[in-house]
This record gives sequence, C-alpha cells and structure tokens, in this order.
Amino acid sequence: MKLRVVPYILFIGLLLLMLPIGCIDINNNLSAPEQKKTVKIIAKRKKSEFWDVVRMGAEAAGKEFNVNVEFWGPTNELEIDKQIEMVREVINEKVDALVLAACDYVRLVEPTEEVIAAKIPVIVIDSDLKSDKVKSFIGTDNVGAGYMVGKTLVDTIGKNGNVAVMSFIKGAASADQREEGFFNAIKDYPGINIVTTEYCSSNIDLSESLTYKILNEHGEDLDAIAALNADSTVGVARAIEKRGFAGKIRIVGFDSTPDEIDFLERDVIDSLIIQNPFSMGYLGVKYAVDVMNGKPVPKIVDTGSRVINKDNMYLPENQKLLFPLTDE
Amino acid sequence: MKRNLLFIKWIYKVIRNTFKINSIQSVISLSFTAVTIFALVFVSVTLYSVFSKTAERNAASSTQQIIEQVNINLENYLMEMMEVSSHISNNLSIDNLDNLSDILSVTTGIRKDIVTVAVFNADGEIVVCNPKGEYDKNYKISEQKWFQYSLDNIEEYNFVSPHVQRLFVGMRPWVVSLCRGTKVSANNETWVVMVDMNFSVMEQLCKKVSLGKRGYIYVIDQYGDIVYHPQQQIIYVGLKHEDIKFALEKEDGSYYYDLMGERRIVTINTVKYTKWKIIGISYLDEIVENRKSLSTLVVFISIFSLLFVIAASLFVSAKISEPIKKLEREMKKVESGNFNIDIDIDIDAQSEDEVKRLSKAFNMMVKRIQNLMEQIISEQEAKRKSELKALQAQINPHFLYNTLDSIVWMNENKDYAGVTTMVVALSQFFRISISRGKELIPVSDEIEHIKSYLTIQKIRYKNKFTFNIDAQPEALGYKTLKLILQPIVENAIYHGVEQLYDEGIINIRVSVEGETVLFQVIDNGYGIKPDILKNILNRKDGSKSDHGGVGLKNVNERIKLFFGELYGIEIFSTLDVGTTVNIRIPIIK
Repeated sequence: MKLRVVPYILFIGLLLLMLPIGCIDINNNLSAPEQKKTVKIIAKRKKSEFWDVVRMGAEAAGKEFNVNVEFWGPTNELEIDKQIEMVREVINEKVDALVLAACDYVRLVEPTEEVIAAKIPVIVIDSDLKSDKVKSFIGTDNVGAGYMVGKTLVDTIGKNGNVAVMSFIKGAASADQREEGFFNAIKDYPGINIVTTEYCSSNIDLSESLTYKILNEHGEDLDAIAALNADSTVGVARAIEKRGFAGKIRIVGFDSTPDEIDFLERDVIDSLIIQNPFSMGYLGVKYAVDVMNGKPVPKIVDTGSRVINKDNMYLPENQKLLFPLTDE
Repeated sequence: MKRNLLFIKWIYKVIRNTFKINSIQSVISLSFTAVTIFALVFVSVTLYSVFSKTAERNAASSTQQIIEQVNINLENYLMEMMEVSSHISNNLSIDNLDNLSDILSVTTGIRKDIVTVAVFNADGEIVVCNPKGEYDKNYKISEQKWFQYSLDNIEEYNFVSPHVQRLFVGMRPWVVSLCRGTKVSANNETWVVMVDMNFSVMEQLCKKVSLGKRGYIYVIDQYGDIVYHPQQQIIYVGLKHEDIKFALEKEDGSYYYDLMGERRIVTINTVKYTKWKIIGISYLDEIVENRKSLSTLVVFISIFSLLFVIAASLFVSAKISEPIKKLEREMKKVESGNFNIDIDIDIDAQSEDEVKRLSKAFNMMVKRIQNLMEQIISEQEAKRKSELKALQAQINPHFLYNTLDSIVWMNENKDYAGVTTMVVALSQFFRISISRGKELIPVSDEIEHIKSYLTIQKIRYKNKFTFNIDAQPEALGYKTLKLILQPIVENAIYHGVEQLYDEGIINIRVSVEGETVLFQVIDNGYGIKPDILKNILNRKDGSKSDHGGVGLKNVNERIKLFFGELYGIEIFSTLDVGTTVNIRIPIIK
C-alpha cells in the first residue's frame, strides 16, 4: 500500500512546485514596479523665469524617460559655495545622475569630479565647467551668442557710438564666453567705444542701480547698452525706461523672460538674443538617462540662439520659443 | 491512431539507434520525452503564432476604436464651441451691448477652457470682449488673415491654428480661435465673433486614453499645425519631429510607419467640422513585448512540463522495468546456484500482468528444478544404499562361514579336488562381487559370478540341485548392473529347491530381446503363494519376512533406479511347479 501512494505524492508535489513558480513569474511581469531612477539638476538658481523653462524641459524629459527629476539650486547665482555644497551632497544621496549648471567655471570642478569619482555621471548645461570628465555640455554656444549681441548692436546703432556692457558674474563660463564673443564682434568696428563693463551678479536691482550709475557717468553720450543675461537686461531696461531714455539709448539684451518681451513690445529693448532653455533641461535629462543606459552622448551640444525683435517675434517658429507652452 | 503508433515506433527506433540504448527504462523515458517535446513544440508554436497575430489585430482595431471615441468627444467639444459662438452671434445688436457683454462674461465665467470671447466690427475694432484688458495697439486685427477670412465667408465657422493670442498687453496665452463673421441686421455690417479656447479640454480628451505604454495621440489642423501633442513644447523647440506630412496626405485608416528602425502603427481619423486630424501612434514593439513575455511564458511552461514529463516518464518506466529488473536479479541468483527463491508476486501486485505471469512461471520453473534436483539427490542416495545392501548381502558372513566350513570339511575328507574347486569358486565370486568398485560389468562376468556362487552352493547343499546356464553369445558382450542374478538365485535355492525331495533344477538363461537383455532364473521349486507374490516387489523396506524376497525387491529397485521404470523384475510362479524370474535391462555396450 505504501508503495502505491508514493507516485501520487510525487506527482502532486511536482504540480505544487510548478504552480508557485509560474505565479511568481507572471506577477513579476505584471505588477513589480520598476525602480525609478533619479536625475538631480543643480541649476545656477532655483527660481527664475529662465530656470523655470529649463525645469519644464527637464520635467518633460523625466516624464518621457520615466525618471524622477529633482530640481535644485542656490537662491542666487553668486552663492558658489552653496552650490559646491549641494554638489558634494549628491554623493550621499540616492541620485543616479547629476545635471549641473556651474555657477563658477573653475571652483565647481573639484566637487563635480568628486561626484564623478563616486560613479555618478555628470552632464553640464548652460554654463560650462573646466573639466573634461563630464559626459556632455549642453547649452548655448555662448561665444557665438555674445558675437550675435555685438553684431546686432552694430546693426542697431551703426559703426560708431559709445556702448556700455552689463554682464553678470565674472568667472561664470557663460558670462565670460559671451563677453569674449561680444568683444570679438566689436573689435572689427573701431568706431564703437566701450565705455564700461559692469557685473550685476544676476540681480535685477543691482543691474538697475548699476545702469543708473552708468547713466550718471555717461548720460547723453551713451548710444547703447549690451546686456548679457536676463537679469541684466531687465535691470537695464527698467533704468532706461525710468530715466526716459527709451528709444534713445538702445538695448540689445539676452534671453526671453516675459518682462523682457514686454519691454521689447514697448520699444524699450531693441533686440533680444534668445536661448533655448527648454532644450537645455530636456537634453540634460535625456543624455543623463542615455549615459545611465550606457548609450553614447555627444560631448558638446549647441542648443542654438537667435535674434528676436519686434518684427519677427510673432512668427510661428519664434512664438513657440518665446511663449513656452506650460502644462497647466 | 495508426499513424501515431508508427510515429512512436519511428521515434523508438531513432532513439535506440542514435543512443545505443537498450534498457527498457531508458527507451521508455526517452520516447516519452521525445514525443512530449514534439507535442510541446507544436502546441507552443501554434499558440504563439495564433496569439501574436490576434494581438496585432486587436492592437490595431482597439487603437482605431479609441481614436474614434476621441474623435467623437472632440467633435462634441467643438460642437459646443460652435454653439457658444452661434449663441453670441444670435444676440448681436447695436442697441443692447450690455446684454451682449453679460453673455460674454457668463460664457467665460462658466468655462475655464474659454480664454477670451470678443466681438469685432468690420474695421477690426473691439465692440465688446471678456475678459477685458488693455488692448495691445501693436496688434492690428484688421490685418490678420483670419479676420479677413471671416469677413469674406460670412456664417462660416473658422478654426484658427494654435497661436499666441496677443490681443491684450501682458497676456500671451496659447489658444485655438473659433471665428465667425455675422451680418448684424441693424446696420447691415459684418461683425466677427471670436472665441478663444485653450488646449486644456482637448488635452484632457487626448491624454486620458492610452495606446500601450508609449503610444500617444496628437491632433493637427488642416494646415498641419499641431493642436495638441503630448510633447508639444518639445516639438515646438525642434527637439522632436512628427511626420505631419504623412498624416496630412493619408486617408483615414491604419498604416505601418517605420521610424528609426521602429515599426509604429499610425491611425488617422478626421474630425468633422474642422478637417482636423486625430493621429494615434502605437508601437508595434509593445505588442512584440507582449509577444516576448508570452514567449517566455510559453518557454517557461514548456520547460516545466518537460521536466515534469521527464520525471513522470522516469518514474513510469522505472515502475514498468522494476519488476523485470527484480526478476532479472532473482534469475541471476538462480544462475549462481541459489534455488531457494520465491519471487513475491504480491509485492508487485500493481505491476503489469505480463510481469506477474512471468514471475509466476519463473517461480514454478524454479520449484520444478528444485524438485528434480532433490529427486536426483534422493535417487542417488537410494542407489548407493541399495548397492551397499547388495554388497552386504554378498558378504553375508553366514555364507562365508558355511563355505569355509565346507572347505575345512572337504579338506578333512581329503577331497582336495573339491577344496580347490571351492576356493577357486569363492575367490572368483568375491573378485567379481567387488569388480574394483565398478557398477556395470560385462554380462559374461555376471554369469561367471553366478556360476561360482552356484558351484559353491551346490557343494554346500551336497548336490541337492543341478543348474544350467544358457547364455546367448551376443548377450555376453553387453554390460549389466552387477550382482543382479545372485539374490534371485539365492532366493531360488533357499525358498525353491532346498526343501525339495526331488532334485532341484535351476536354469539360468540370458538372451537379447530387441533392445533389452533378458535374464531368466527358472527353478522347479514349490513356487510362491499368489498373495505373497502380489506383494513381493512392493513390500515396505525393513519389514522382515521369512519368505525372503528382500533380495528380489532390492534388485528390482536398483534396476529401476539405474535404467528407469521400463526395466526391472517380473515374477511368474505356479505352486508345486516352479518359479520364473525375468530380469530386463537395456542393452549397454
């Protein structure tokens, strides 16, 4: 009798063995949630109209590639130490890739390379870093964009005139490169006289007061001001408008915040060199994901820049850049 | 059925030939497994192909259904917008602008998706609008294409492609405008009603449906401008492109579209009223992904069933071959000489009938062999015993004493010739008795032996009888079991001729009859009573009898043991006439 039971026990045992394994497999396929990876973005500033658009792009990419996007940054672009600290913290956090816009071309190198040494890939956007260990730089060709500012300025005021330059932070790669491009463009026109170059620390108020200072010093002699980022541009435009120099002292600005567009439409600003912050955010996250998946990414990506003025701003291709479509 | 059998046979053959395996267990398990593999592969492939085809068809048709549903919803939505527009158109009047303004404010107040409602006069000036704002003087409405179109095509609904609405200073929303020119009856002027809607409702309509994990829906207008796209801004900044030309050119339906090595199903559906197109993109590799998980599932199940079948077949084949193996083991034991075996058939009660029967037959065979061997052994023993008895009979001490007494007596009577005869006969008698231990001796020796015996007895019984030996010469050359005549003759003397008053006669004849040699001992004595005769050869061993006959029985048994039941002793006796004893043995050369 005993012998007869054994085969059935074996049979049933085998069946029972198969059952859970089959179930486990199906469950795995259907319901096991994938561990979402996290891409951290450390911007030059946590909140500003420019960086909001960067963030929009980053979040669009996060949604597309199914990764968490954390957006961080110091409260203003001068807080280099704060940003260094933030970058260093990444090592101890559950972060799979870092997208960085460096506040300083040199000083962020060391912490960033520490992050890279901790096997966290780093993509740099907007402002470059003096390191060849980063996977990719995605941003505007700032030298080219600076050159565009210079050319546009000459187109606006002609080959002769006194020009002031409102830059933002000495040492930040984007500022230095734009200046370099700008001076390259101006260099061919000996009639253009650069009266001063100021740095507003990406602070609108400071830019405004610096502009008052320039106006006080040079006043009627000044023909144009070149402003090299959004904050400097808004500050300059405010000062010019308040002092009643609108249309007399021409402004060639940078970026496309709603304030700037408003000034452009009211003829305070003549032209804006606009970048593509949405692309920076989007591509930053996209390439971070690609690097994590072992795909090759280009070393340098130029997201492009173009000159916008009152006449071309509502062309379909331009309004898509100037007025980004928000999710809400 | 027949074909299946042939197939199984063929598999069996292939397995036997390729693996050179002959054991029943291996052949059964391998055949089992092979058949299962064939079956599994067949079923899996069929299942897989049927499923994947169905999945592809289902994907295409469900995409189409989803998009049709989106289309219906979108049509309903645009219908609503047209109703809003026509409601405003119906209430246009120069006199009651306040009423109009109220309608406008209610409309925009209720609906979050309506950004602006405005009525322009033929010069492009705002008659009434809601919400109110600072009119942007840079924006010349009369120069806009859509305005001209509406003036030229009165009562026609015109949906303007998505654009930034720049009617008011500081407000730059993305909208789709619905414009319609209407004649105002009071002043016969054409006014234009503009309803601006944002993308929120359209986005909702398109977003809430899903086409697989990565599939999506987008909407374009008749010029190819994107009305809604889940990644609209990404496309706007030029990071992505959608092949809108393809969608514009194609009729409604589903198409395969290869992009960067990826196959997509593009489903196109045109919206009524607007000539917009809803385009659904679904990825074929998601269906393939399903297919992959199906295939892994199929492979998984196959492997497990295979493992199971292997285990089961191993088990079954072991079950089948185990009794056979057991039988084999038992047979080996028998081969090596152990007959003390009884295969327990009950233990294998669940084993097959064939094996059971085989076991039974084997058991019986072993038993039979065992019996035969026992028989042989006992027979051998009996033979030896009877031989010993025969010898003992010969070396009967009384016989020897009497003979030696006779010799002494003759010697005293100076009958030296008699002594000589006696001694020669005695020596001859013992020589042949012993015969160097041989069992078979020539018939001539046996005759010589009986002659010596009779010679001695004749002298001892003082010539009370005579004897004749008549042997056919051809019989002399054959062999016989030794000492078969002496007990018969002894019997004839003691119980036959001794008590006779007349002279006794003992005749001994040896002849060849066919394949037997026939010895006959014939005496003319009293004979044997029939009731004794009946039992004389069947008497139980050991039971004493005064009628002698022990010698007769012993000889009979010896002959039967040696030559078989066909041979032996026959006794014919008639009272007062005599007795004839026939001894038959086979011819032995």
